[in-house]
Amino acid sequence: MARDLGERNREWFARYKDDVKKEGKPFFPRAMLHDTIMGLVTILVMIGLAVVWYYDADGTEPGILGPWYTEPAEPGTTDFIPRPDWYFYFLFYLLRIFEWPETVFIATVGIPTVALVLLLGLPFYDRRPERRPSRRPVAMVAAVLTVVSMGVLTWKGATATEALGSELIELVPEWAEEQGFADDEQAVAGADLFAVSGCLNCHTYLGQGSANLGAPDLSAVGRTNDAAYFVQYLANPAQFGNTVMGSYSYLGQENLEALGAFLEASKGGG
Amino acid sequence: MAKVKTRRQLAVETAVLAPLDWIDERTGAVRGTKWFLFRNVPRDISWAQTLGFATLIAFAAQALTGAILAMYYKPSSEIDPTTGKPIAYASIEHITSELTLGWLVRGMHRWGASVFVILLFLHMGRVFLFGAYKYPRELQWITGVLLLVTGMLMGFTGYLLPWDQTAYWATVVGINLNGTAPFAGPWLAQFLAGGPEIGADTLAKWYALHMLLIPGAVIALIGVHLYLVTRLGVVSPPWSKEQAGRIRGEAPAPEGAREGLVRGSGGGD
Repeated sequence: MARDLGERNREWFARYKDDVKKEGKPFFPRAMLHDTIMGLVTILVMIGLAVVWYYDADGTEPGILGPWYTEPAEPGTTDFIPRPDWYFYFLFYLLRIFEWPETVFIATVGIPTVALVLLLGLPFYDRRPERRPSRRPVAMVAAVLTVVSMGVLTWKGATATEALGSELIELVPEWAEEQGFADDEQAVAGADLFAVSGCLNCHTYLGQGSANLGAPDLSAVGRTNDAAYFVQYLANPAQFGNTVMGSYSYLGQENLEALGAFLEASKGGG
Repeated sequence: MAKVKTRRQLAVETAVLAPLDWIDERTGAVRGTKWFLFRNVPRDISWAQTLGFATLIAFAAQALTGAILAMYYKPSSEIDPTTGKPIAYASIEHITSELTLGWLVRGMHRWGASVFVILLFLHMGRVFLFGAYKYPRELQWITGVLLLVTGMLMGFTGYLLPWDQTAYWATVVGINLNGTAPFAGPWLAQFLAGGPEIGADTLAKWYALHMLLIPGAVIALIGVHLYLVTRLGVVSPPWSKEQAGRIRGEAPAPEGAREGLVRGSGGGD
């Protein structure tokens, strides 16, 4: 290397300051006028969105930009599908890729942390003074890949729908075979209920369902307790110190017993 | 005709300037403002370089609409016995459908959050494309990335406040996600939830984070960011033929490119 990087950098910046002083244009008012126009456009866009949102919706009736608000928060409900604001969809969708409980932290902590460190450190590992995009092929390819992957994740997150009960019920024979309760009619009935009652919105079972809410995997829950315990638990989770899960006593005793039999028969398969 | 100032004009000028001089002598505020306003920028800067200012305006609009909302919003998850609805939810209903122009203020704040986040990303993309994060603007870039993170945190914490189903369940998920972090995870989740259950304490805590702590951090970071942009200036578009700092004599000069590097052979970043 002919000359030290720091020295070349300082020479360039001295030249830059000289040029700006001699041939630059004043920030005020010329450059600031452009800034002000852009600022006004920003405000107008915000007003425009507010107007469309307000006049197209009515209370909880959604318009093109969604409702004014949904129903009041109700911790007891179980059928509400959680959705963050759209600019978190890319993180949200990562969770579907790393859905196994052991890998969830890759999506929630691992990838975001690596991305943040790479972003913060950019000026320190990309030290070449070259600024022209045509001469920075690695940077440009990395940028395009980042934009495309974030775009795809956001899009997938926006269009993702939770697995429907009607799809999950198709899996019951598979579960029955793997867990070995195919001959137990009561357990199979319980499995059907389990599939259609929204349990998998919070729990996971043999790789199905959503771990987003932090509820435990139930694939091998039958090793921990018996049916009678599960029936009591389902009827009143709060009694067992679980204040997140709502009561399922509305299903009725017969259904609860079927669910209990199913859960007891769930010993992890294999 | 030469301009001759009358005694009256001189008196007016003195009356206006004297207080400014008084302030400047003690604070340097006038010199500081002049330093900020009356500086040169490269003559070839582009419209893409107004995105940073637009982001600032979006934040200012969020601060203003947010302050107005705070005057009417009640951060309480208690059920109001007369309406049977949570107080926070009822106050959002009141702001949206009863307060004069409340819908506009809330709508601008709600959608302004999206506009702000989009502008943050666009501004960052422009800086990346222009290579403007390179020497000597490394700290400028770092404060910018921290502003992106704190800006997203504003969105995350503000989302809970309407206390509707969307808000509640998105936040339950968000808190549980924080809980998956190694070591600090459970502690973080416990802190964010403010107890074993997401309820009254959570709402008050998130309100404080959204209204005081995070905006304070954002404003401080913006201050540093603006100081640095004034001190270091903005770059010319890298493809400009008349860019500030170009090497004279050897047209489209690869500024500071390595000697002996064959043109187009990459080198990469």
